[in-house]
Amino acid sequence: MLEAHDIHLRRNRRDVLSGVSLSLRPGELVSLIGPNGAGKSSLFAVLAGELPPDGGKVTLDGQPVRKIGASRLATLRAALEQSPSLSSPFTVAGLVALGMASVSRAAIDCAGVAAAAMSAAGVAELASRPVDLLSGGERARAHLARTLAQLYAGRAIGGGRYLLLDEPTASLDLSHQIGLMSAARSEADRGPGVLVVIHDLNLAAAFSDRIAIIRDGGPVALGTPGTVLTPGLLSEVYGSAISVERSPAGTLRITPDLERMGSGGRAGPVCLHPGKSQAPVPSSDGNRRLHNS
Amino acid sequence: MLTRRNLLAAAVGAAAGSASWTMVRAGTGQRVLVLGGDLAEIVFAIGAGEIVIATDTTALWPPEVEKLPKVGYLRRLSAEGLLSLMPDLVLAGADAGPQGALDQVRAAGIRVETGPEGTGFDTVSKKIVFVGSVLKRDAEAEALAARVAMEMASVEVALSSLAETPSVLFLISLANGAPMASGTGTAADEMIRLAHARNVVDGFEGYRPLSPEAAVGLAPQIIVLPDHAVGAGDVRSALDGTGLAATPAAGQGRVVVMDGLKLLGFGPRTPAAVGELARALHPAAAARLDL
Amino acid sequence: MQRVAVPGMPSTFSRDGLAVLCFAVLALALASAGVMLGPVPLGFGEVLGALSGHAETRSQVIVLEIRAPRVVLGAAIGAGLALSGTALQGVLRNPLADPGLIGVTAGGALGAVAAIVVGSHVAELLPEAARSWLLPLAAFFGAGAATGFVFAVSRRDGTTHTATLILAGVAVNSIAGAVIGLLIYVSDDRQLRDLTFWTMGGLGGADWRMVALAVPCIGVATVGLMRLTRALDLLQLGERAAWYSGLEVGHVKTAVGLWSALAVGAGTAVAGPIGFIGLVAPHIARLCVGPGHRMVVPAAALTGSALLLGADLTVRLIVPPAEPPVGLATSLIGGPFFLWLLLTRMRRDA
Repeated sequence: MLEAHDIHLRRNRRDVLSGVSLSLRPGELVSLIGPNGAGKSSLFAVLAGELPPDGGKVTLDGQPVRKIGASRLATLRAALEQSPSLSSPFTVAGLVALGMASVSRAAIDCAGVAAAAMSAAGVAELASRPVDLLSGGERARAHLARTLAQLYAGRAIGGGRYLLLDEPTASLDLSHQIGLMSAARSEADRGPGVLVVIHDLNLAAAFSDRIAIIRDGGPVALGTPGTVLTPGLLSEVYGSAISVERSPAGTLRITPDLERMGSGGRAGPVCLHPGKSQAPVPSSDGNRRLHNS
Repeated sequence: MLTRRNLLAAAVGAAAGSASWTMVRAGTGQRVLVLGGDLAEIVFAIGAGEIVIATDTTALWPPEVEKLPKVGYLRRLSAEGLLSLMPDLVLAGADAGPQGALDQVRAAGIRVETGPEGTGFDTVSKKIVFVGSVLKRDAEAEALAARVAMEMASVEVALSSLAETPSVLFLISLANGAPMASGTGTAADEMIRLAHARNVVDGFEGYRPLSPEAAVGLAPQIIVLPDHAVGAGDVRSALDGTGLAATPAAGQGRVVVMDGLKLLGFGPRTPAAVGELARALHPAAAARLDL
Repeated sequence: MQRVAVPGMPSTFSRDGLAVLCFAVLALALASAGVMLGPVPLGFGEVLGALSGHAETRSQVIVLEIRAPRVVLGAAIGAGLALSGTALQGVLRNPLADPGLIGVTAGGALGAVAAIVVGSHVAELLPEAARSWLLPLAAFFGAGAATGFVFAVSRRDGTTHTATLILAGVAVNSIAGAVIGLLIYVSDDRQLRDLTFWTMGGLGGADWRMVALAVPCIGVATVGLMRLTRALDLLQLGERAAWYSGLEVGHVKTAVGLWSALAVGAGTAVAGPIGFIGLVAPHIARLCVGPGHRMVVPAAALTGSALLLGADLTVRLIVPPAEPPVGLATSLIGGPFFLWLLLTRMRRDA
């Protein structure tokens, strides 16, 4: 279990996280949601072992993550940062190979792992294309393939237990967003615990076992989509009217309730000026850096 | 060093067979490479110019040296470049370098002789004697040294009648509008003294950049420049770029430009240079000076 | 199943390996030319004779004491500059980062100038054996201090801020330049003579003593940098993703700074500041073997060697018996070649 307990984090004399706890069990997919600036990316970085919290502790299967060391940690959990980048013109296959860097090449079937990762991310046919010439969506999937390769390579030597994705759907079109979430879902079904930081509440509702909501660095709710995603809670967290419908098949449909939101029901300004107290707009903080949020 | 040279000569002898130039005994002066404008001038003045095969870029006098190959700048010599000219003797001024290059030339079995160090009129005769003994032309060298000493003595006698010692600012270069002035202990300082004048800069040794304001503050009556500092343009426009126009010297148009090598080289032309400088510095008395 | 092209894996070794081999052949050819050719015309037989110790003194000295140390030193310094350029560009993810831009060379130069000017006063206090190490050590510490400084000031939240680092490098360059100017101002005539020669840069003073000083330092740095190829690849993802992927980023940055300072400092100490190679050699290598550092690092080292050897050969042969500064030739040869390569690549990719 990857467990963060009572995390406190201060950055630039401001409390970024205060008293957040979150656990990720093997085999489950947990979505972390919350308005912009809620501290999602900071919590992600703390869980990934990158940021040492000022209070509380993070353990991976009982071991404090900060004691594990980058190299071994990389074999135990794979993490994909928000807006990944690559400054050299590697091919997709070359990028995917970078994901396997922490595992000795002799110990695993590199070509097999790379092929599996690329096909799971839907970039197998792009293998020999340079990453810098791909579209934004293709590039995002190529980085997902790199992260999956890290997960698979770790698993091949007895690790690969957790997959952490920070806003992986940010630059994808609708069908690829769904494709990505199904890929994350099937990873979870094969054993690893998967954490996804995401803005799209419908995707979160459709694919998650549990959903964690944080706001202003503090915990709001943690539980199954059905218990957490209620109109009252969401409207309060996002500061705007949100309605939740349940289809006969049990799927949740979450929509901003435009009629109750402003005069004349015009949604335009809401989308053009996304902010803390307004409706959730998918990927609106896609470019924000961790340390600023 | 002598032992080592002998050893090398022995080694060369042992390795004989080819009629190589290295077989030429050192000291006969068949092919001489002269490094330093002052030494080159002396070599030509004692009539040994025909054995000089090349010089460095500081050698500008006599006109014959212009036709000779140049091995580059005196302080930035290349060992193999020197060797490629197949000298059997290298006459190196004290400034020649880097030392490593000269050592390598020496290691190749070439005789390298380094001249006396220092500035001042005393070194002129030392250099002449040095060149004469190395080239085995002692008689010519002694005659030249005697002639130069005579000339200098007569210049000094002529100048002893001068009452005034005008104040002089010597600028070695005007590069980038930052004039480099001569302080004490330089060839320029020595020449100014010999020409019965006073160097206005006595606060530092060597050549240092001088601010225009400091130059104006020193109020030199005369500014002296070597010809290479002025370049192609005229003196006035060269000075205008430096802010020195406000000095009394520039205001009264008392700016003297002289052949840099002749003025600062401390060679056989030094007595003439002192005379020339003195006439320029003492215009009122120039007619009286019997030089 | 489709062939997976993974850098550094056997499937692509052949093509990139061939390119590295070409660079090696080129460097070797230029090294041989450096021994064979010079202002003094020596025949093939004479050079071979000199190398095997059966030639007259003059040829022996020219080949073994003048040309050979020069070639060895040129190859090592070229490789050292190219490697530190590669590593710095890799760590900083910036194509302009080179030892000259970020102040490593200037720091080394300041150390060396200080050793020449101030060192002559303390040299008498040192044992004979330590004196010759004063200059390279001072250059290394200067380069190391400059590197450490620019990395330290550009660190924010654990990651290096490249733009800040380059600006800090520009500042270090001008500060070092000013202090060098000050040292030149207070130097006496003899020190000035040494400085004049040294600041022009070049291999003209090369001898075996310099080889013994610089080559071991550059060799150690080369081995150190060669071991970082995978780390440099990972850093192309950014420091954060590299850490997620298992790289101890802090250690790698320290190592790159240390080895770069050692290679550049040692080279600067014996040959003066030589620009351009650290910038251009890594790019030439990348244009030829692609982005994977496993191939880029050896290719860049060989390119750097070839560039400096070619440039040195050019300055020795172009206006004999004089010799222009080697920096002119590295820029005049490397610059147009680099532009040509860049343009042909861009046309091909278009």
